[in-house]
Amino acid sequence: MQAETAINLFVKKTGGWVASQLEACTRCGLCATACHYYEATGKPEFAPVWKVELLRRAYEQRFTLVGKAKVAMGIEKPISDDDIKEWSVYDFHGCSMCNKCSFVCPMGIDIASLIGAVRAGITAAGEAPAGLVKKTEVQLATGSPNGATREDYAAWFARTSKEMGKELPVDKKGAHTLLLLTNLEIAGFPNNLVAIAKILDAAKIDWTLSLEARDAFNMGTIIGNGKAMKQLADKVYNTAVDLGVKRVLVSCCGHGYTTLRDKLPNVMGKPLPFEVQHIAELMGVLVRDGKIKLQEGYFANGHTYTFHDSCKIQRAGGIMDEPRLVLRQLAGDSFHEMLPNRKEAICCGGGGGLRAIPEAYDIRMAAFGLKVDQIKKAGADTVVTTCSNCRLQFKEGFEHYKLDTQVTGLAELMSQAIVE
Amino acid sequence: MDWNAFLAFTRGPLFYASLLIFIAGMVYRLVQVAMLGWDKDQSVARGSKAGGVVKSFLKGILILPFIPWIKGAFQKRPIMYIAGGLFHLGLFTVIFLGTPHMLVWKSLLGFGWPTLALPFVDWLAVAAIIGMLVLIVYRRTDAVLRLLSGPAEYLNWLFVFLPMISGYIMTHHLFFRYEVAYSLHMLSVDWMLIWIPFSRISHFMFYFFSRTIRGVEWGKRAVTP
Ligand code: HEM
Ligand code: SF4
Ligand code: SF4
Repeated sequence: MQAETAINLFVKKTGGWVASQLEACTRCGLCATACHYYEATGKPEFAPVWKVELLRRAYEQRFTLVGKAKVAMGIEKPISDDDIKEWSVYDFHGCSMCNKCSFVCPMGIDIASLIGAVRAGITAAGEAPAGLVKKTEVQLATGSPNGATREDYAAWFARTSKEMGKELPVDKKGAHTLLLLTNLEIAGFPNNLVAIAKILDAAKIDWTLSLEARDAFNMGTIIGNGKAMKQLADKVYNTAVDLGVKRVLVSCCGHGYTTLRDKLPNVMGKPLPFEVQHIAELMGVLVRDGKIKLQEGYFANGHTYTFHDSCKIQRAGGIMDEPRLVLRQLAGDSFHEMLPNRKEAICCGGGGGLRAIPEAYDIRMAAFGLKVDQIKKAGADTVVTTCSNCRLQFKEGFEHYKLDTQVTGLAELMSQAIVE
Repeated sequence: MDWNAFLAFTRGPLFYASLLIFIAGMVYRLVQVAMLGWDKDQSVARGSKAGGVVKSFLKGILILPFIPWIKGAFQKRPIMYIAGGLFHLGLFTVIFLGTPHMLVWKSLLGFGWPTLALPFVDWLAVAAIIGMLVLIVYRRTDAVLRLLSGPAEYLNWLFVFLPMISGYIMTHHLFFRYEVAYSLHMLSVDWMLIWIPFSRISHFMFYFFSRTIRGVEWGKRAVTP
């Protein structure tokens, strides 16, 4: 029964785009070298290609002669309810959708997006991890996965206004830029709002916050529920159109950014009437174009910094040069790179919703161990990121490994060094 | 048994029939995948899609171990790179740059091209055969590969190995009379041609899809694929 629901969804998802990639796989296993969860567990089932196995089986058995023959001869079984439960572990506990594996695949298969399709099937069949299901429900009801309400955001905006001694613009019609924050900031580092506000003001950008579209987070994307994804993204779309903004600026959220940039236009079936930009890109552009001047070497103060490339912002967003430009100006030679970095960087281990799955704590921390090694090799005592989710993973990871390494956000560093 | 008559059959009617099945089968696969439909991408590109595709194919070819983006994976699974690389290199050299095979192409296409000296082709054929033997051992012993391999994967290996080993036996006049070895070589080639469209060996066609898709998807994001 469950299996049937999942298979129907797989079949629905299978266009030529998916099928031709499934057909290209040579089953060489090289993608395993990329995956931090495979590395951390050593279990072959965590090899990226195995996470796609359900989709491959569904596709072959439904659409190809070979697949049908395999089932008829008993070489391969149809997908069962137990399979769905089993793969829920591989695809949700053991994948952060980080996209690193597709850079290793010799055939160039975009494995992570295929895993996304498997996740969608598992979710449709009702076997997504309870933690994610809960957060999705809460976000659909309140607007944020942690239950932060309109009132909570209003209070945060008011508090920050008071602190900054100036009224922050909220739902200002005709503003150029709508700034979209996340529930992670409200809960974990509310000062990020101060930092971003300072940067936008210094660059003389006409911007606004909104109490309608409040949270860039999109649990629909994470869990693979297309309807929820659309419902949540619609909210942003409608608000942006109502306010008449030219740009939606996503603060430190990765999947929220790629959802709006890459997925929303396809859900809408037409290009968006506004630009979607990530703050990590804007910061670099402002500095590069001389719109903001920074006090060079402001953070060359004895600390050693390293930059964490987030999967959705840097690797999948392509925003790799801009944050480095800023950090280089701020920290000079005390900025050290981890290896590998940029698009080949390894994930922090906390993406793809893993932080909301308590059962995945051990594997998530084991994968973070790889990051700890890299940080140590880079000789850094402070990690800088442009993603709030990564930032929390680093915070929890450092606690788990009992390290006094620090993690901070690039916007917060940059806002302190602005030359008026 | 009249081996000469059998050879004529495997080189003639059976070969052409197999070739037809191969072509029809591949066209069927292509159409079957294309019929599933393609959505138009509505998102705004940050970078050049065409540039991404070019880089994607270049990266697909540049798989030498000292290249930075290969290094990490190479160090973890060198056998797959070396044995797999030698196997494909040998395979392509033999079927495109070996004189006897070029002549087959010439009879089919109507034009030929310069080929490499026999000893050179011969050494690459040996490399390919050794590569394949290493690959099958690796596939049986490595935990990930074992998990990924079912009967279909082993049969793929076998049906590609047979033409290679029989071709080698034939050119070196080992074990069998020449026309016997030649017949066996042709028989295995004919069977491989029939088998390919129904198997994962058709990856050589879908390679061009997956590499193109990758180039478009990542070129769009201004990331080198
Ligand atoms: C564009 C052309 C091709 C590309 C890019 C390509 C690529 C690959 C890759 C990346 C692998 C996995 C790693 C490895 O074993 O090297 C592979 C495996 C394999 N390929 Fe190809 N291939 C191509 C053409 C062919 C052709 C024409 C044949 C046979 C007629 C072939 C037969 C095989 C076999 C049998 C394997 C599995 C080897 C094993 O047991 O691990 N390939 N191919
Ligand atoms: S997307 Fe990342 S986490 Fe998922 S299988 Fe690939 S490498 Fe592993
Ligand atoms: S690296 Fe690519 S071709 Fe090889 S098994 Fe993984 S997905 Fe398949």
